[in-house]
Amino acid sequence: MRLYAISVYLFLYIPIGVIAVFSFNSGRHASQFMGFSTKWYGKALSNPFVMDALETSLIAAFLTACLAASLGTMAAIALQGVSGWLRTLFDALIYIAVMIPGIVIGIATLIALVTVFGWVNPMLAALWPEGATPPQLNMGMGTLVAAHTMFTMALVIIIVRARIAGMDRSLLEASQDLFATPWGTFRQVTLPLIAPAILAGFLLSFTFSFDDFIIAFFVAGSETTLPIYIFSSIRRGVTPEINAIGTMVMAASLMLLVIAQMLLRRGVSKSG
Amino acid sequence: MRQLRRNGVLLAPAGIWLLVMLVLPLVVVFIFSFGERGAAGGYVPALTLEQYANLPARWTAFKNTLILAPLGTLAALLIAYPLAYYLAVRCSPKWRTTLLILVIVPFWTSILIRSYAWIFILGGRGIPALLEMVGIDEVRLINTPFAVLVGIVYGYLPLMVFPIFVSLDKLDKRLLEASSDLGSTPLRTFWQVTLPLSVPGVATGCMLVFILLMGEFLIPAILGGGKVFFVGNALVDLFLQSRNWAFGSAVAMTLVFIMLVTVTVYMKFISRLGGQRDDISLM
Amino acid sequence: MSKDDGTISKKRFMEELRRYQKGSVTRRHFLGVTGLGVASAVMGAAVPGLRPRPAWAAGDIGDRVILATWPNYHDEANFDAFTEATGAHVQVNVFGSNEEMLAKLQAGGSGWDVFVPTNYTITTYVDEDLIAPLDTSKLANYDAGSFEQRFSDAGSVNGTLYAVPKNWGTTGFAINTSKLDGAPTPTTWKEFWDLTMGTYSGRTMVHDYQLTTIGNALKYFGYSFNSVDEKELADAEKLLLDAKPHLFAISSDYQPPMRNGDAWMTMCWTGDGKQMNVDMPEIVYVLGKEGGELWSDYYAIPKGAPHMDAAYALINFLLDPAVNAKEVLAHGYPSADARTNALLPKELLEDPILYPAADLLSALEFGAAATLTDPNRAELLARFKSA
Repeated sequence: MRLYAISVYLFLYIPIGVIAVFSFNSGRHASQFMGFSTKWYGKALSNPFVMDALETSLIAAFLTACLAASLGTMAAIALQGVSGWLRTLFDALIYIAVMIPGIVIGIATLIALVTVFGWVNPMLAALWPEGATPPQLNMGMGTLVAAHTMFTMALVIIIVRARIAGMDRSLLEASQDLFATPWGTFRQVTLPLIAPAILAGFLLSFTFSFDDFIIAFFVAGSETTLPIYIFSSIRRGVTPEINAIGTMVMAASLMLLVIAQMLLRRGVSKSG
Repeated sequence: MRQLRRNGVLLAPAGIWLLVMLVLPLVVVFIFSFGERGAAGGYVPALTLEQYANLPARWTAFKNTLILAPLGTLAALLIAYPLAYYLAVRCSPKWRTTLLILVIVPFWTSILIRSYAWIFILGGRGIPALLEMVGIDEVRLINTPFAVLVGIVYGYLPLMVFPIFVSLDKLDKRLLEASSDLGSTPLRTFWQVTLPLSVPGVATGCMLVFILLMGEFLIPAILGGGKVFFVGNALVDLFLQSRNWAFGSAVAMTLVFIMLVTVTVYMKFISRLGGQRDDISLM
Repeated sequence: MSKDDGTISKKRFMEELRRYQKGSVTRRHFLGVTGLGVASAVMGAAVPGLRPRPAWAAGDIGDRVILATWPNYHDEANFDAFTEATGAHVQVNVFGSNEEMLAKLQAGGSGWDVFVPTNYTITTYVDEDLIAPLDTSKLANYDAGSFEQRFSDAGSVNGTLYAVPKNWGTTGFAINTSKLDGAPTPTTWKEFWDLTMGTYSGRTMVHDYQLTTIGNALKYFGYSFNSVDEKELADAEKLLLDAKPHLFAISSDYQPPMRNGDAWMTMCWTGDGKQMNVDMPEIVYVLGKEGGELWSDYYAIPKGAPHMDAAYALINFLLDPAVNAKEVLAHGYPSADARTNALLPKELLEDPILYPAADLLSALEFGAAATLTDPNRAELLARFKSA
């Protein structure tokens, strides 16, 4: 059993080892190891497009996570008190949202928005006062965040709703019996109880948006996210720069995870 | 009344969002799927079933997807289950969190880069070169369905391990002890106690992986060399190469339809099997 | 701008550059003093009589320019020099086919400033209103007369200039001759396909776009490279489907597998053939005797480019013969610019990969606009790929 576990971990980590090893390759071609060098790390860090792509990805992921977590939580709470057709409609939409493949979301969003923008832009131009440049709706950060939010919001609704369903009803009733206002009940009872679910939804949304390639590939317009940059670089013939980026992203997330773990432990030992 | 209005206000943003970013695109794709390709590509309005009639031209892509997606899910399940079992039941609690984290970490490196690493490993200078040393010549792995399958299992393993781990972790260890105290063999215990209790986790993991695989594009594109085509690849090709929006829309609609049917049937099946549908949520 | 401030001494230039790098002068000051960017200053001085006056020297062009181009197609050092001279970083987006570029532009909001269309696509871009006419007053380095006409005339549509020549090339195939076991090197497309289904089974690559993959399959039967005839296309489709199980991959990024030995033969453009041949002499570049594609790539600006000034600056910079000569040395495609060729070493100008023998060259055809937009060819290749 243990041997089996070890071999699965090897399976998981050998490719990552390969990536890491080649990131220290001094040669240009990623397929041959020419000698040890850390120059590709310097190159990646000083490449403004890598940094731009990273920034774009972080901004998109952060906005997506904020929007998805807040809108999703709001909807999940409201859905508790909703029944009938509205409830059925929402359930159906959420079901479809998480079930449809990303590639269909990407393509459908692209052609729908391009078509809509094709109607709206001339209208805007006609309405705009003479001389001033009318605003142009275009594919870009806005459409990217909108598409990511659609999908991740559905995830947040599912997660938060599961948490609410598992909540102890008597707490809410007790709060109401004690004449707390609905807002007071929400802030002091509901919110602390569902906070872990909201946080989980936020993190999941962030990770999804940060990692997503296929939706972004279609709807990001001229914006380049990190996965799009990596995809484009792979086609250009990979240099170890890409390996360096991948290694750094992984090291960073590992570090975050360790820090989070440490904070969590401290929190536990304090409260316990 | 007040509460109704409050709920309406809370629901509105999410509702509008779903309407504009989900319903509208799907409606557009639905309409486009009855149209025609423009002279230089794109879409011209029409009302024809021609695009749907042309679907057999993508039969292989659908076939590959419908074979490799379930197969990939099954392979991921078979590899993930023992690991999840080991983590939840067998391994010492001291190591559990660390080992669990080690399962997720690879998931945080771009799937692009992780898939790319397999080009080295499966390429001529990787495993085939090692096999040559022990006398097995002419093994070709890269750009085959096998390579795509490896990439799939590798890419989505964490998604399978996690839900199974969660459901096994919830399992009361005393049940296992009781079972063995009553003279049950370990295999019997597993078959009669552990496995049924882990059904929700298995169902969730399988569904997650299956949904992702049905729309997969990257892994076949990177490890299939353009030879192992999924519906996702056919779609990208239709929109980015032949620029046939109408036919692309018909293919997309068909894929959505297939998924709706299979996932719904699957959920029905699982809920009957487990009799506890509440535990089987998407996440 | 007088003749004197058109160039400065190399020494002075380097001093200014160092001051600029240390941050003691602004970019505007640097450009003002040097008057020119690195390459045109140094090279302008090196090539007497050529003193281009870049339009961009006059002002700030922003900090970035986005170029959509083909794989292995530029000298990275030139981009670095451009950045150093203008402050604008060059982002290179690489594409695999003209179809993909067209699709991206048709979908809108590509965000590109400069792109590199091939001759046969330009009329389609004009018809679709996706390409901006060029203002030659902003392209001081563009000299229409110095280009060989057949590689530059596709840049003008109905008398309007939309694109200026980058370089030209051919599409043949590259083959690793060490795997032939003494058999003679093939010279025809017929042999290419027969080898694919014979001793090179599992080791051949074809492009992932329709023009050349279908065109070179048509050549197997001796049909025109550009054929849109139904019967002829049906023959080509049958050949492609027969060959598919024998292919290593369908991809236009063939250098990595050719170099590491996974692939032995591939459809190939001039420059990639040259690049591989330089590093691995056993890989040779062959033009099919039956013919095939002759093409010319251009620089152009899409409608609505977000950084228009930077786009002109980049094109103008790359048109500088001295810069272009470095490009040719890096990518290995022949230039149609007489000024550039005057700066290139003689061996390169006589290289049989870049400049094929007249009888091979005369058999080649330019791709046709009708071939690009033909729905049957597009669908045929899509069927082949998903078969």
